[in-house]
Amino acid sequence: MITRAEAEELIARESLSLDRRDWDAWLDLFVEDCSYWMPAWRDEENPTEDPETELSLIWYKGKHNLADRVWRVKSGLSVASVPLMRTSHHVSNLLIEGEDRVAASFAVHVHNAKRRADHVFFGRYEYRLVREGDGLRIAEKKILLMNDYIPAVADFYML
Amino acid sequence: MQAMIWEEVKALIDDRVDDGWFSVNRRAFTDQEVFDLEMRHVFEGGWVFLGLESQVPNPHDYLTTTVGRVPVVVMRDGEGNLGAYVNACTHKGALICHKRTGNGRLHVCRYHSWSFDSSGRNVAVKAMKDGAYSDAFKAFDRNLVRLPAFANYRGFLFGSLVETCSIEEHLGEARHMLDLAADQGDEGLELVPGEVIFTYDGNWKLQLENCADAYHFTSAHPSYLQLVERRRRDEKANSVKSVWGENSAWSEMTEGVTGGTYAFDQGHVVNWQIIPLSDTVPLADRAEALAARHGAARRDWMVNMRNVTIFPNMQIAENASSQLRIIRPIAPGKTEMLTFCIAPKGESAEARRMRIRNYEDFFNPTGMATPDDTICYADCQDGHANPSQPWILGYARGMQSVQSGADAFADVLDMTPDRSQPCGSQLCDETLFHSYYRAWLNRIEAGMERSK
Repeated sequence: MITRAEAEELIARESLSLDRRDWDAWLDLFVEDCSYWMPAWRDEENPTEDPETELSLIWYKGKHNLADRVWRVKSGLSVASVPLMRTSHHVSNLLIEGEDRVAASFAVHVHNAKRRADHVFFGRYEYRLVREGDGLRIAEKKILLMNDYIPAVADFYML
Repeated sequence: MQAMIWEEVKALIDDRVDDGWFSVNRRAFTDQEVFDLEMRHVFEGGWVFLGLESQVPNPHDYLTTTVGRVPVVVMRDGEGNLGAYVNACTHKGALICHKRTGNGRLHVCRYHSWSFDSSGRNVAVKAMKDGAYSDAFKAFDRNLVRLPAFANYRGFLFGSLVETCSIEEHLGEARHMLDLAADQGDEGLELVPGEVIFTYDGNWKLQLENCADAYHFTSAHPSYLQLVERRRRDEKANSVKSVWGENSAWSEMTEGVTGGTYAFDQGHVVNWQIIPLSDTVPLADRAEALAARHGAARRDWMVNMRNVTIFPNMQIAENASSQLRIIRPIAPGKTEMLTFCIAPKGESAEARRMRIRNYEDFFNPTGMATPDDTICYADCQDGHANPSQPWILGYARGMQSVQSGADAFADVLDMTPDRSQPCGSQLCDETLFHSYYRAWLNRIEAGMERSK
């Protein structure tokens, strides 16, 4: 059983790690065989549900795939990642569902300093958390992005 | 302000290839007046791509789209016939079909309840009898406005808001490129569920060019290419393998012909690369069946990377995966992209999985390649504001080596493009773009002539 306080602390730490661009601390929050999933939308009302047969915006199994994404934005080789956007993650309405699942609302404010533009990505996070070593880790993260009309780029650190 | 005249539009394209010169004036990318002419005459003045037949498989299915600025609906009637109509009630103009795809035997306008069947026929006007309508009104055609031209080429649906040439004439020899896509499934193509829409801060022609641009690949995508190479070396079970890891057609170490370009009449082009058959190709498990059915040479062409543009708004990119794109200009400096993973019906679950995973990594705006393109487009759009030296220098590579007619690779398909350019890895032809701008001028000229 996980407590609300534990879940809140973990998710706040995730937000902070992303906003501070402390990618290694962010990766440490996930278990090795984690899944990370942002569905696409089939139509106006329904997101895709099966990553094996339907398209997702992002779907990874295994932390090394997240590490690849971190490598890319740090590499200096990605046009879309230089300069990096500034982000501020806001997570609210956090609820524990069942033994190990957490649902929450998110809004991520993104500022593109190069183009002097702001954007907000919003939607719902759904996590499955597990105890590992000294604390809680993320076993599954699902990002249901409600406004999937994407201004050119939406990378993991803006979501 | 004086409206732009034809001579001014024509002067935006400096087409003197006999003197070794072709250039486009930056104003073609930035000017609102040019943009308005494009909407009216390029997009609303000739064939544009609407969607796939597989999106409307059943009686009374519909799909909505836009042709230029005009809302359009493609409907399948009760007898199974497809038609394309302006998606607007003939009474006051309200939209009739409201979803991207849907089904409806009868469409009742939400505003005043005029109703239309799935063949576009106005079947009822609310309170007609009590309306004290004149005979002139009763005699007027109230059916949904049918597009003057509509065609289904092997499941690819096209329409035009003006009378125009036949679809066969429009597609011309570029039809072979659509055939290579359509022939991959014994029952044709389908869209993988999940549509992805994004915008970029740049002109629509930047996307038109980028799809056919081999020159940017190693410059704009080194992060993706290095990751693919890392994944190839590193045998982690859940890393996605990509043809880019197996293939070196883009590498400067590779010698000889590694691909090429074809330019067709009417503004269609393809940029292609040889891709050897390997287990990273989604077609691999059906390679023998495809060869038995279509011949080994056509099968090899299906495996090759092909970035196909059917002017003005449709692209099919088949490389690490397979993407169908619909380009929708919003403003001179803003473009919307509607994108789908396109796939042969009936492929194995494993092939489909591989296609989807590669698609997400490469093509999505949430992936690791496309954002590196679209941010470059925005940079170009900024730079194109410069009027002091208006000529873009991006139409010159390959000028001295392009040949007219087919090359040996086209002969295999019995295909006769206008121009061919077999390329080594570093030639990166830019002459194929000339076709875009000749078709662009042709449509604007015809449109300005028509509206005189």
